Amino acid sequence: MQPGHFPANIVFILLFVAANGFFLFTVYKLYRIMRLGQAEDRFDRAWGRLQGVATFVLGQRRVINEPAGWGHFFIFWGFIIITIGSIETFGVGLYHGFAYWKFLGKGFTAFLYLLQDVFCAAVLIALCVALYRRFVVKPDRLRYDDQRAANLDASIIIGLILLLVVLLFGARAVEYLLAQGASTRYFPRTAFISVWLSTIFSGLNNETLHIWYSFFWWAHTLVILGFLVYIPFSKHLHLLGAIPNIFFRRFQPVGQLTKMDLEDETVETYGVSAIEQFTWKQLLDLYACTECGRCSENCPANLTGKPLSPKLTIHHLKEHLQQVGKLWLNQAGALEKLETFNPDGALSRTLIGDVCQHDELWSCTTCGNCMEHCPVFIEHIDKYVDMRRHLVLMESNFPTEVQNVMRNWETNSNPWGLGFATRGDWAKGLPVKTLAEDSQVEYLFYVGCAGSFDDRAKKISAAMVTLLNEAGVSFGILGVDEKCCGETARRIGNEYLFQSMATELVEIINDHGVKKIITTCPHGFNCLKNEYPQFGGNWEVYHHSEILANLMREGRLQPVSGMEKNLVFHDSCYLGRFNDIYEEPRALLKSISGLRFSEMDRSRNKAFCCGAGGGRMWMEETLGDEKINNARTDQALTLNPDIIGVCCPFCTTMLEDGLKDRDMEEKVKVYDIAELLVKTVLKEKG
Amino acid sequence: MDIVVLVKQVPDTETKIRIGGDGKTIDTSDVKWIMNPYDEYAVEAALRLQENAEATVTILSMGPERVVESIRTALAMGADQGVLVNDPATEGSDALGKAKVLAAALRSLDFDLVFCGHRAVDDDENQVGIMVAELVGIPHLGLAVSVELVDGKVKIERPIEGARVTLEGTLPALVTFGGAHAVWNPRYASLPGIMKAKKKPLDTKTLADLGLSPNDVGAGGATIKVTSMELPTERQAGRLLEGETAEKAKELVRLLHEEAKVI
Repeated sequence: MQPGHFPANIVFILLFVAANGFFLFTVYKLYRIMRLGQAEDRFDRAWGRLQGVATFVLGQRRVINEPAGWGHFFIFWGFIIITIGSIETFGVGLYHGFAYWKFLGKGFTAFLYLLQDVFCAAVLIALCVALYRRFVVKPDRLRYDDQRAANLDASIIIGLILLLVVLLFGARAVEYLLAQGASTRYFPRTAFISVWLSTIFSGLNNETLHIWYSFFWWAHTLVILGFLVYIPFSKHLHLLGAIPNIFFRRFQPVGQLTKMDLEDETVETYGVSAIEQFTWKQLLDLYACTECGRCSENCPANLTGKPLSPKLTIHHLKEHLQQVGKLWLNQAGALEKLETFNPDGALSRTLIGDVCQHDELWSCTTCGNCMEHCPVFIEHIDKYVDMRRHLVLMESNFPTEVQNVMRNWETNSNPWGLGFATRGDWAKGLPVKTLAEDSQVEYLFYVGCAGSFDDRAKKISAAMVTLLNEAGVSFGILGVDEKCCGETARRIGNEYLFQSMATELVEIINDHGVKKIITTCPHGFNCLKNEYPQFGGNWEVYHHSEILANLMREGRLQPVSGMEKNLVFHDSCYLGRFNDIYEEPRALLKSISGLRFSEMDRSRNKAFCCGAGGGRMWMEETLGDEKINNARTDQALTLNPDIIGVCCPFCTTMLEDGLKDRDMEEKVKVYDIAELLVKTVLKEKG
Repeated sequence: MDIVVLVKQVPDTETKIRIGGDGKTIDTSDVKWIMNPYDEYAVEAALRLQENAEATVTILSMGPERVVESIRTALAMGADQGVLVNDPATEGSDALGKAKVLAAALRSLDFDLVFCGHRAVDDDENQVGIMVAELVGIPHLGLAVSVELVDGKVKIERPIEGARVTLEGTLPALVTFGGAHAVWNPRYASLPGIMKAKKKPLDTKTLADLGLSPNDVGAGGATIKVTSMELPTERQAGRLLEGETAEKAKELVRLLHEEAKVI
């Protein structure tokens, strides 16, 4: 059965067509299952999308953020280079005389062979490291609820690639020997590893070498075809899912949730309570998941023992999708909606409750760490929020303590439920005008609920007023006319309440002809900046860290005194990950002389959430082995700070609570950047 | 089974109350209106009965146009229809006047059970529900913290001094509800509920429709009149006394005697 000779070439063609046919058929089925999802437009910006593929697929930009990712980098590129070799291998299978050098030239072939040898070796090393990690190091992020099945899957994949490379080396070593003295063959010495390995077979006669060559060729080919058949059934489905998923990634701001159509009266259900109610892109996410676990490794809920691991959520959704999809393909036939499809009650598992647990959905702080670190751009938060939307809008099913908060928003437009008429009272006696008194100001200072009602956050608002006046900025507030932005209601899933709040606030702000807005709360900042354009609110929105950093640069604010203190800075999720503002607060703090600035391990885009986001501020935290805010406080305390610097009123509350829990509230203080700046820029009034 | 729930719209409990110029009413200009919480428990109780029995739940209220919002809230929770008695002549009614209006409206409806809060959180009179029962001539079961239908009778529980008493009454009957938010945990309207509520029937009636004369009700017909209202004095910020303990004690005694005038 020498490859490329009759009848071996016929056998090869049959096997090749069968394997590829089976593979394509499986992929087609997966495609049809994905198309069960709802419509979503992800076809704009073709050029940007291609650039994304270049950066994040070919360049493996996010993969190599972790040391282990370099292993993947080499396996990925090895895979591509080996595939180029496989085309030659398959060519030989068709006709024994096929060879690249005959039409690519000897020089280029020599280069190609060198590359192949180097990458094959790199892949072998990377695979050994992968095995070592999985079976010896056992990092947390490779943990599954069914560890054996996951390890088996991984082992099969690693084993197959390992075998594939070893057999390839074997074939090449023998090929080198066969090429010696044969004018019809060419095997460049640049493939130095293959040449070196050929010593194993030296001394064998030509006939034996041909037998070895046939063995290696067939074994190698069968492994490739076997791999092809196995891919769609394993987590290596990501080979197929990841590239389109990166191509179709979101270009809207990460901090923008989808706007639900609440006007359409034909809609009968809201949110997502069945897998096919996700959009096709949300389903493609599931195919793209490699289960690398970077999401869970950075998830504050997961790290404090809550029943939420983004990796497992995606894994469970994928299993469920495949189960539903398989039943549907086998029994329902045509591509139609699945709403009432449940043959013989086979789909006994409900999406919410069985596949995803209630506590899982409510544990998410929407901090965005999962999405930030996902190498293939899976969008986790939207899925959690979509399911929350169903629970809130359709079933009125949410943690009981949330109901009061929603009523408070409805009645008094703030989560504390304090009388709406007292909203502007924090500014009594302060030198600040309302827009009703003077609308000819440059900036609206949108104070937000915390800044207006929470005693601690009111001090931050007051500090901001002092600083803006000191710098001579023309600004005003809405005072009693201000309303809640609704950010939290939206993240809890109450899109109806959010939309009514957003519509109202947009009208109020637009009525005053506002162009520029300053906020001290990153949640309001993100919401006004990234979500309000959905409701006709188009303004320049700035977080106070941006405004203050700018005033400092322009010399309109000048530190006149310093402070000899140790400061640890805590990033706000909605400022950093969602809006890419890392430098401004740092620049401000570093401008204060004497202040010794230090960073936690989990900082910047890896910053650990304070635990307040996604409505968690208003829910009891009873699950897990640690409260998120306490865990974050501990991380800060390891650096022995005098001050924890923050730039969010909710972070302030959470970390102060953490300090109280650790009996450290006397020794360590939490200050907003504005409060720290007030202490240093104010001239001594004589 | 027809259940009618009497609902009153009251100022939100967090509203900063200001007394009006006449010194007898409150200034309603900055008031946020909500459904009286005890009436909301009554709505919740009615909807729970409806889950287990074929029942129509009707919301009955009186007051100006703004009250429609509270009725819609109850409809969004799941009630079937609403009736609002909206007549300027009812303005200034005392408890008896309000009870007369509601009783007259009730007679125009079918009912086996009438539910309402035992009091409204605005003027805390604790009277209207009981008076309505009297005027309509049906039994009144007060301060229920649970309600069920057993063999064509209504059965309630009422806490008394840490214990509970169980009462049973024949239909038709009026039940007033006590308890607290934690006891009833009234449901949060779903979005489909809110959408449907916009289309549910809501009748508006005047005194003439009910066959009542304006003289029976309103400020003119009132037998009890509010003569004045006053707000509690605003709480002063605390004061810290400085100095030696003996000095501080002396100063404290002086302040309590001369300023606070409590000793």
